[in-house]
Amino acid sequence: MKGRPMKYVILIHSNPNPWGHPSGNYVTERQALPQEQRDKMNADFEALLGELRDRGELLGAEALGDPAASRLYRWHAGEPTSSDGPYAESKEHLAGFFMIDVDSPERADEIAARFSGPGETVELRPAMWPGGDSGE
Amino acid sequence: MTVVNGEQMWRRETPHLLAALIRRYGDFAACEDAVQEALLEASQQWPETGVPEKPRGWLLRVASRRLIDSRRQDIARRERERHVSMLDGRDRVIVPEPIVEYQDATLQVLTLCCHPALTPESQVTLALRAVLGLTTKQIAAVYLIPASTAGQRISRAKATIDAHHRRFPAPTSPRERLSVLLHALYLMYTAGHSRSEGDLLDAEVTTEAIRLARLLHSEFPEESETAGLLALMLLSEARRTARTTASGELVTLKDQDRSLWVDEVIAEGVDLIERALPMGPVGAYQLQAAISAVHSDAAAWEETDWEQIVELYSMLAQVAPSPTVTLNYAVAISEARGPTSALRVLDPLLDDPRMSRGHRLYAVRAPILEACGRHHEALDAYRMASRLCTSIPEQRYLNSQIARLQVGIDPSSVTDL
Repeated sequence: MKGRPMKYVILIHSNPNPWGHPSGNYVTERQALPQEQRDKMNADFEALLGELRDRGELLGAEALGDPAASRLYRWHAGEPTSSDGPYAESKEHLAGFFMIDVDSPERADEIAARFSGPGETVELRPAMWPGGDSGE
Repeated sequence: MTVVNGEQMWRRETPHLLAALIRRYGDFAACEDAVQEALLEASQQWPETGVPEKPRGWLLRVASRRLIDSRRQDIARRERERHVSMLDGRDRVIVPEPIVEYQDATLQVLTLCCHPALTPESQVTLALRAVLGLTTKQIAAVYLIPASTAGQRISRAKATIDAHHRRFPAPTSPRERLSVLLHALYLMYTAGHSRSEGDLLDAEVTTEAIRLARLLHSEFPEESETAGLLALMLLSEARRTARTTASGELVTLKDQDRSLWVDEVIAEGVDLIERALPMGPVGAYQLQAAISAVHSDAAAWEETDWEQIVELYSMLAQVAPSPTVTLNYAVAISEARGPTSALRVLDPLLDDPRMSRGHRLYAVRAPILEACGRHHEALDAYRMASRLCTSIPEQRYLNSQIARLQVGIDPSSVTDL
C-alpha cells in the first residue's frame, strides 16, 4: 500500500532524423519495419496513453524541440555565458518525457516497457518527493 | 470572514447533501456533481447576498434543481435517440425537510465511498471529495498531482460505483465494511501525515481522518480494532510537532524532543488502547497502537521498554506479517538484545524481492552494522540506502549519516574492504 505519491518520469532518448514527433516515426530502425507493424505500434501507443489517462496515472508529458535549438548557459568567470546546443555529444538526445504516478514499482516497469521501441532508449527514473517517514 | 473560509465551511455540508440526494435519486456520480454545482453557486452568490438563513436547505434545493435539470437533459437526449422515457414522480424538487442534523450521513457516505469494487486509494480519494468536501484542486494538493489527474481519478471512482449499482443499495451498515473503512481512514491519515512541510491542508486531512475514526468508534464502541485505529492515530498525532524541525527536516523517534509530545492526546490514546486490548480480538491496529503507547511512556529512547516492544512486534508479525514489521522487529531486537541478534533477524530479508529495490532494509541495517563495529559495511549500507531513497528529507538524513561515518573512518583503511 503506498498512501503517498509514487512518481516516475519516463525519458525518451532518441535520434529522430529529421527531428520530429512521435520521435519513433523518424527513427531509421522503426522506419525499416513493415507499415502494418508500424501502424500497430502507433495504435498500441495511443491505447497506452488512453489507458494512463483513464486510470489517472498520467501526470503530464512534453515533446521536446530539436536539441540543436537549445541554448546552453554555463558559469564562466563569475558570470553566465551562453552558447548554442546541442548539450550532449551523444547520438541519442532527450526527445520527450512523460510523468506518471502509479501504485507500485512493478506497474512503473510495466508501463515503461510499453514505451520502448526500436532505435530508442527509454529511461525510467523515480521522482523524489518532499515527504518522508520518521521511522515510527 | 473571507470567501474562501466561507466556502470551506460550507463544503463540510457535502456528505449531508449527498446523502439526502442519493437517498432520493440514487446515482452517486450525478448527485455528487449536483452538490459540487450547488457549492460553487453558493460561493459565487453568498458573498454578495449574504448566507441564507437555512444554508443547508438552500444548498439542497439548488443541488436537487441542478440534478433534475441534468436528468431532464439526459432524458431529452435519450428521447432524441428514440428511447422514449418519462419524467417519473421522483423528479420533483425536494421540499427541504426541517433541517435535521443527519448524524449518520457522514458514515453513510463514507461507507459508500469504501465500495469494495474500488482500490483502497480510490476509496480515499473519493472520500476526500464526498465526505470531507475537498475540491479537486485540494485533493490534487494532498497527493501532489495535477488537478486534471485528480479529476480523472475521481470520475473513474464515481463511474465504478455507478457501474455497480445505479441506485443506492439498501443501506448497508458501515459494520459490513468495517475493515475496509478502517483501512481507508488509515490511508487518509497517512496521506495527510507523511509530508514534512506541514501544509495546512495536510493537517486538516489528518484532523478529519481522526474525526471520522472517532465517529466510527462512537458508533461501534465494542469493535476493538476501531478503537485501536483511533488510538494509533492519536498517539501519532501527539508527536506531530516533534517529528519535524522548523526547517522541515525529519526527526526520528530516537532524536525527538519528547517535551513537544502532547500529553493529553497521548493519555487519550493510551486509555483507548488499554480498554480495547482486553476486548479482543487483538488486531494489527491495536498492536501498532500498543507499540506506540510503550514509546510514549518512555522519557527517552534509552528508557524504552524494549522487551515489551519486541513482544508486541512478534505478535504483530503473527497477525499481519510484512517485511516492514520484520524491520521494526529487528530495531527492537537490536535495542533489547544487541545488534548481532538483530542482524540475524534481517538476514532473510536480504533475499526478499520485496525489499531489494527499496532503501528501508539498508537504512535499518546501517546503524545496526555500525553498532556491531562494522563501520565500512555500515557506510556501504547507508550509501545504498541513500541511492535507493526517493524521499528528500530521508535522503538528507542518510547523507548526513554518510558524512558522519566518513569522517570517523580513516580513509587509508578503506582499501581493507
